[in-house]
Amino acid sequence: MKAVGARLPRYDATEHVTSGTRYVDDVRIPGTLWAKALRSPHDNAEILSIDTSKAEAMAGVHAVVTFKDVHKNVHGHIEGLGIPGDEPLLAETHVRYKGQPIAAVAADSEALAQRATEAIEVTYKVLPALFDVRKAFDADAPQAHHWGNWYPHFEGEMDRRQIRKGDIEQAFADADVIVQGTYRPAAIEHVPLETQVCQVVPEAGGRFVVYSATQAMYFSMGVVAAHLNWPLNKLKFVGGTTGGGFGGKVDTATETITTLLAIKSHRPVRWRWTRAEEFLFSSTRAAWHMEIADAVTKDGWILGRKMLTLHDAGAFARFSPYGVTKHAFHHTGAYTIPNLEFNGFVVYTNRTPSTAMRGFGVTSVSFATETHLERIAQTLGMDPLEVRMKNATRIGDTSPNGIPYTDPSTVPVMQALSGAVGIELPAHYRTMTSAIRSGEDLPGHLVAQLGNPEDH
Amino acid sequence: MTKHQGRGIAAIEYPTGMNQNGDPSQAWIKLKMDGRVDVFAGTVDIGQGSKTIHSQIVADTLGVPMDWVTMDTSNTDSSAFCMGTFASRGTFIGGNAVRLAAEKVRGRILEIGGELLEIDPGDLEIIDGEVVAKGSPDKKIGVGDIAGAATFVKGELISGQGTALKEYATLDPETGAVTIPPHSAISYAACAAEVEVDVETGDVRVLKLTQVYDVGCAINPTMVEGQIEGGAIQGLGLGLLENCYPYYPSAEHRGGQFGSYLAPSMEDLPELECIILENPSADGPFGAKAIGEMANNAQPPAIAAAIYDAVGIWVTELPITPEKVLRALEAKAAGQPESTRDGKVVRYDEALSMSSFQAAESAVRFAV
Repeated sequence: MKAVGARLPRYDATEHVTSGTRYVDDVRIPGTLWAKALRSPHDNAEILSIDTSKAEAMAGVHAVVTFKDVHKNVHGHIEGLGIPGDEPLLAETHVRYKGQPIAAVAADSEALAQRATEAIEVTYKVLPALFDVRKAFDADAPQAHHWGNWYPHFEGEMDRRQIRKGDIEQAFADADVIVQGTYRPAAIEHVPLETQVCQVVPEAGGRFVVYSATQAMYFSMGVVAAHLNWPLNKLKFVGGTTGGGFGGKVDTATETITTLLAIKSHRPVRWRWTRAEEFLFSSTRAAWHMEIADAVTKDGWILGRKMLTLHDAGAFARFSPYGVTKHAFHHTGAYTIPNLEFNGFVVYTNRTPSTAMRGFGVTSVSFATETHLERIAQTLGMDPLEVRMKNATRIGDTSPNGIPYTDPSTVPVMQALSGAVGIELPAHYRTMTSAIRSGEDLPGHLVAQLGNPEDH
Repeated sequence: MTKHQGRGIAAIEYPTGMNQNGDPSQAWIKLKMDGRVDVFAGTVDIGQGSKTIHSQIVADTLGVPMDWVTMDTSNTDSSAFCMGTFASRGTFIGGNAVRLAAEKVRGRILEIGGELLEIDPGDLEIIDGEVVAKGSPDKKIGVGDIAGAATFVKGELISGQGTALKEYATLDPETGAVTIPPHSAISYAACAAEVEVDVETGDVRVLKLTQVYDVGCAINPTMVEGQIEGGAIQGLGLGLLENCYPYYPSAEHRGGQFGSYLAPSMEDLPELECIILENPSADGPFGAKAIGEMANNAQPPAIAAAIYDAVGIWVTELPITPEKVLRALEAKAAGQPESTRDGKVVRYDEALSMSSFQAAESAVRFAV
């Protein structure tokens, strides 16, 4: 019997619904301490002093860690992709969002660990905070970082992700109508049923076993090893079972600090975030501000697109530059637009840092481009399906990056959807395929963007 | 009549694998002495069912029953490297890693089978756990017998490893142009939303979502539908309900508990219809491409278009709350001026900032 294509049950389905699955928090090891973090009460403040002596002196407190305990306190999780780190594991001289961890404690009970964090004395100089990405570029805006309010390191030195394709000014000169719009999807939570959690167990021989809910065991192990300056064989990650991730459990939010506490206390340590911590201090999907102006002909061809994107990263870059690059690569959606001018910025604000979430970078642009396309159709008095079929990506068309598409499916998915909901397509669009453009589907403005013009 | 119905559509695309590639997944496989198959990979199953998908790929690549295959993704000591479960890469990239490992194991099974049967391995195939001579089905030997012979007679562990890796695509920072495709494949989808808008309360109910997804090859159609349906409800939350910052851009008055954060629940569930298309990818396992992330991207614009169809308003800030619907209805009733520039009609002239933004590099004030 063939397995591929068969409707086989998921291996873990029964255990999930009968509570048989063992998640990280179900791993119970005698002698385990509880971790808690002291978090910033301010959106933006200088740290003038940190005094942990009272917490350290409390009976039942086995370890207190601050930035002084971390070999490499600032480590960018995707430094390997050329995105430098800007976020300390534990705050040293500055906090940039409410909830940013400053110190962590391991104690005999969860309640005692909480009381110990409250015994840590920190003095602050509170500063004005920045929340609106559209005010970040003003000369008198509050400063999110000393280098400015937006990420300056695309390909090393660029302060934006940009796409330039074709001749955008000619497209706007040739247009009959310009359709503009601004689109602003909100920041949302991942809302996993399992909050951020891990357990770290010291083993004989100096190894540490990290029971982790991470979506990426090797990736998270690399993050912990980089902060500690350890070789990978000092760590063993045990995972593979995650109680809801959706992108939020790529963050390695708990593993490094918990490992530091286990090292310092020589005891197993568990850190399990409360539901409030999960909602307020775990990373979110970013809010976006997107502006589109399209140069359009009266018969429904989109000649060119100008787009400006401001991505609300929150206090630190994390994966945002990657997300904005992906966003830029897909800013024409399932269609081909030959003339493009795109500028995307990763803007810092003093809110909880955003991170990857299902559809990272593209969910936002799908909403913007599709809503915009509907408005183009409405402006022209055309059927939105016809505008879609006309501009649909075809074999040999090129992406915003100039790569020819080899197997696009915009046309067949639109045809199948029309059939399913009972929309009668005009005959020309009923029989259209994704084949290389020709005839009336190859107007002059599209010739120049083709991957191999001689094929047409 | 305060309730109006409308329908809107959206079409989307989404890449498979990390943007610009360079994200390997590795796997290795060993046979037990009875032929049962142990697969080791670092892939984390975050609920999408990648362990089942990968087991299906291994079973068919080897030609053994599905229940022979055990997959261990439990730790970094026994498993090989995997970049992680994100970027819609599990089925395609993780799947190719186990497929490549299984092809190596299959090759060795056939070689040893050929020795034992005294038949050229090229004339053998593996069907349901047995190595069989093509055209002579009576000449055969069980994969379990081959594994046993390898272990106890030849002194060999039958094993194989596989790595799926696509080269990193460098890009020109000025134009964004890349030299090779910055993805492993692209999936496509279309969605139709049928909604009911109450113009008295501003409440929007999604009545039905009809969705078409091209996934290349549905390795497991039931789990593809699970992704489509689960993603649809997440998309409904994005479109109508969820917001971390109710007074964005202010950071005040955040929820902090389930009772004050509106995630979709069963009462929001619309009728769902899924249609799977299979336009195979050139390089995916069995032609598969990704479904995971894109499943929540098409609903918000389809819902926004359906609201326009129902009551003639555009709400372009998500989520589309009753308050935003009522404000847009009020603005519509007040009427909007038409603007022109350089002799052209400009629709939805919302004081875009991009022109001034490009003109001046600093001290730009955005229109708020």
